Amino acid sequence: MIAWLRDWLLEFLDKVDWPLLLALSAVMVVSLIVQHSAGGGDSHVVIAQGARFVAGIGGMVLLSRVSPARLRNWTPIAFALTLALMPVVFAIGSGRSARLWINLGFFYLQPGELLKLTVPMMVAWYLHRSPLPPNWRTLAVCALIIGIPVVLIIKQPDLGTGMLVAASGAFTVFLAGIAWWRIGLFAGLGASALPVAWQFLMPYQKDRILTFINPESDPLRTGWNIIQSKIAIGSGGWFGKGWGQGSQAHLDFLPEHTTDFAFSVLSEEWGWIGVSVVFALYLFIVGRCLWIAANARDGYSRLLAGALAMTFSVYVLVNGAMIAGLLPVVGVPMPLLSYGGTSAVSLLAGFGIVMSVRAHRKFMS
Amino acid sequence: MMRGPRRQQMKNPHVEADQFQRRAAIGFLGIAVAMMGLSFGYFRLQVLQHEEFQTRSEANRIKPRPIVPARGLIFDRNGKLLADNVPAYRLEIVPEQAGNLEQTLAALGQLVSISSDELEQFNAARRVTRGFRPVSLKLRLSEEERDRLAVNRYRFPGVDVVPYLTRRYPYGNLFAHVVGYVGRVDAGDLEAMGDSKDTALTHVGKSGLEKSYETALRGEIGYENVEQNVEGRVLRVINRDPAKPGADLQLSIDVDLQRVAMEAFGELDGAAVAVDPRNGEVLAMVSLPMFDPNLFVNGISHVDYNMLTEDLSRPLFDRNLHGATVPGSTVKPFMGLAGLESGMRRPEDKILSTGEFHLPGVKRGFRDAHAGGHGWVDLRESIAQSVNTYYYKLAVDMGIQRVDEYMDRYGFGRPTGIDLIGESPGVIPSPAWKRKRFKQEWFLGDTVNSGIGQGYWLITPMQLAQGTATLADGGLRQQLHLARAMRHGFQESWQPLPQPAGVRIANNASNVRAVQEGMEGAVNGPHGTARAIAVGAPYLIAGKTGTAQRVSRKGNISLSPHSLPLNQRHQALFIAYAPADNPTIAVAVVVEHGGFGASTAAPIARKIMDAWLIKHTTPMSGVLPETQGKTPLPPDATLDPDEEPAQ
Repeated sequence: MIAWLRDWLLEFLDKVDWPLLLALSAVMVVSLIVQHSAGGGDSHVVIAQGARFVAGIGGMVLLSRVSPARLRNWTPIAFALTLALMPVVFAIGSGRSARLWINLGFFYLQPGELLKLTVPMMVAWYLHRSPLPPNWRTLAVCALIIGIPVVLIIKQPDLGTGMLVAASGAFTVFLAGIAWWRIGLFAGLGASALPVAWQFLMPYQKDRILTFINPESDPLRTGWNIIQSKIAIGSGGWFGKGWGQGSQAHLDFLPEHTTDFAFSVLSEEWGWIGVSVVFALYLFIVGRCLWIAANARDGYSRLLAGALAMTFSVYVLVNGAMIAGLLPVVGVPMPLLSYGGTSAVSLLAGFGIVMSVRAHRKFMS
Repeated sequence: MMRGPRRQQMKNPHVEADQFQRRAAIGFLGIAVAMMGLSFGYFRLQVLQHEEFQTRSEANRIKPRPIVPARGLIFDRNGKLLADNVPAYRLEIVPEQAGNLEQTLAALGQLVSISSDELEQFNAARRVTRGFRPVSLKLRLSEEERDRLAVNRYRFPGVDVVPYLTRRYPYGNLFAHVVGYVGRVDAGDLEAMGDSKDTALTHVGKSGLEKSYETALRGEIGYENVEQNVEGRVLRVINRDPAKPGADLQLSIDVDLQRVAMEAFGELDGAAVAVDPRNGEVLAMVSLPMFDPNLFVNGISHVDYNMLTEDLSRPLFDRNLHGATVPGSTVKPFMGLAGLESGMRRPEDKILSTGEFHLPGVKRGFRDAHAGGHGWVDLRESIAQSVNTYYYKLAVDMGIQRVDEYMDRYGFGRPTGIDLIGESPGVIPSPAWKRKRFKQEWFLGDTVNSGIGQGYWLITPMQLAQGTATLADGGLRQQLHLARAMRHGFQESWQPLPQPAGVRIANNASNVRAVQEGMEGAVNGPHGTARAIAVGAPYLIAGKTGTAQRVSRKGNISLSPHSLPLNQRHQALFIAYAPADNPTIAVAVVVEHGGFGASTAAPIARKIMDAWLIKHTTPMSGVLPETQGKTPLPPDATLDPDEEPAQ
């Protein structure tokens, strides 16, 4: 058993994509350092985050050993199962302002997070057997595969996760080579549908968007978060105030400073230099994954790995822009950096799929 | 969905791979541009606008902090301190900064003793407090505990020892029901305070004068803006909106008289109020048994609280305000006055007492205390000898409606308006009330019973004291009050608290005088029901006895009074004022399970009046004259015939 496990791990280390693994590890180390400061020296936060990383890396290693062909065969079942969990969340779910989690006793399962993986899987599964570039009929089916889970997630209501799931599906279609004029048409339709969508938003979601447009209008409630976060970032300067010296975070002016606003803490304490280094790391991870996708053996692996990579960039862009007041506040964490369970695990699992694609790449490249 | 590719659109892996690579390249380019844009966004905030945000971040180090003023002190009429502020140290935890709270609590438990009650209260408070606000764990630390904590401070982030002023009642239980107590701010208080700065308070008045004068005693909370360093430690005070200290209160109560009143009860339960009839000042006010208000200040333990609430004698119950009882014969002076004032009787009108009063057509009679009756009696004798028939007949002649009008004028059936909160209004017997309360018709027999203070009456000791004082003051009712002066600061002088003008309850002073003569006769007359207490008194007393029997009990009178629930105890009453020719004190005494009235309630009143009057006739002596203790009070005073409960 031990020997088998050792061989198995050795094989993983032999086939693993070292640049990607090192870049991910670097982000996780940064995360633990930032969390130590943001949590006010509370080792509890660091240990919990570390435990999630260990669980996530475990999932990553496991998935990296599953061949894309097998993953592809399981895709419809995995998609159906995760979609079936959504009604369960509505029935017995828990959460502070929205029903997002299912309590499994030892772990809070967030089906929305699972759908971030299974939706692009399903779209890739469908597209890989359809003629490409996709025609109207194919696109209609993709719209259903993406639309049903997204509507359910937004109803929870969890706008951030809904957006990310929609993006992951849309990126799959984009990478499949959808014609540009169709993209233009969809963008136009989407823009004209915005006023309608506004009617369906929850009051607090509207609040956040209105506050985004003018944060100073409500400096004590919703606007407070954005203003304090901008002060945290801006006061960081070139080099930051130093690790553990961020007064915004430590004097409790910055809200949620271990979760959604963890990157504000990093910006305050490490300055623009630190921010740029972390952005570069993220960009490297995205680029490396897209490169792996481009060299994949089959259409399914290619589309899936590429979509996961591009979705990862959405996390960074949305969270980064949100805390700097460039986008409305939506519940999107900074990937791997923010404190939070399911998100870190599902992200690392996604990278496990990418690593599997890498391990089963084309022989000629 | 599972259909294969259409014939005219064959899948071409190479074309698809090329297509993907183009799209992936475009995608990466887009992402790279977006990230650079975002990075520039950060550059703008962090480098270009750095100065502005740096300034705002520094301004953020300034936090407003409340300044809680010292609570006003409470003094007795001679300047003795009844409620004091003493420096104390409390143990506070900021849950968000404390790390692992359970470990912290366990480790703290080894340095200071933390009871399960304190732990429970801490957890309850923690649930309603935001994580970065301090929560008190222990409100009073001993000096040793403080030292131990000081040495170990570094081990406990988020744990603080805070000096503050806490309340202390130096006389312990003596003023439990008068001064009352302050207690920890609870969830209900917080709700009432809303968003005001009062939320900074740790204690508020919960009962007694502490509650009724809460606003004045509390003062006004101030604010200061302090600069903090990165650790949240205060570096300096930037500006300050000073707190306004609470006002001091001076009561009309006399500590010595209060103690005499308490001790006069011995082992008995009951209530006594002594007032100055000339101005409505309350001189003493006791409700027995008492409790120690100091227990409540820093959170009473479950054990102590259960002991207080499970005691059949109900120590927490303020008998003066809430212990409404049937007044019995103490109502006769007021009934007599009503008879004169309404024109139904002249003082000299005589009524024949045969021992039994009959309503026409009713076989069962209403009895007098003396089996053979008292013979022909006028108003004065009817009061002095407590002749039931006189009042049976008077009530029937007046009719219940008219009786009620006069009783309302004399202040029964509504709160006296003393400066305490939650006074019971009592009840004047009326057909409307009986219908509402018991859903029963009013009978003429009810009117008869009402005439002698039995039946549906409920009167509090406070109302009795007010009524007695009014009679003593010739029919002028003064507003009863406990606080007589206030000052806003130690150097300021006492400002008398304005009292409303007295209300005249009688149209004719001679009517009041006739009643007064009856009460003088009750104590000093040859047949007076309370003549035993006149023995050895160097001043003239006027008074009236009474009995309230709640539940008919035969043969078990030997039961200890403390073993019966309050509502089953019968009560001996006595009202009095002295000196009769120029009254300076009026007293109402109610003794629970008091055996037979004049022998229990009246001697207590006598002791109170002695303490007040003899002390005041020898103004330079601080100690009571020796004779006072030796004043012969026959232990087996003449059995008051009045004590036989009327049927």
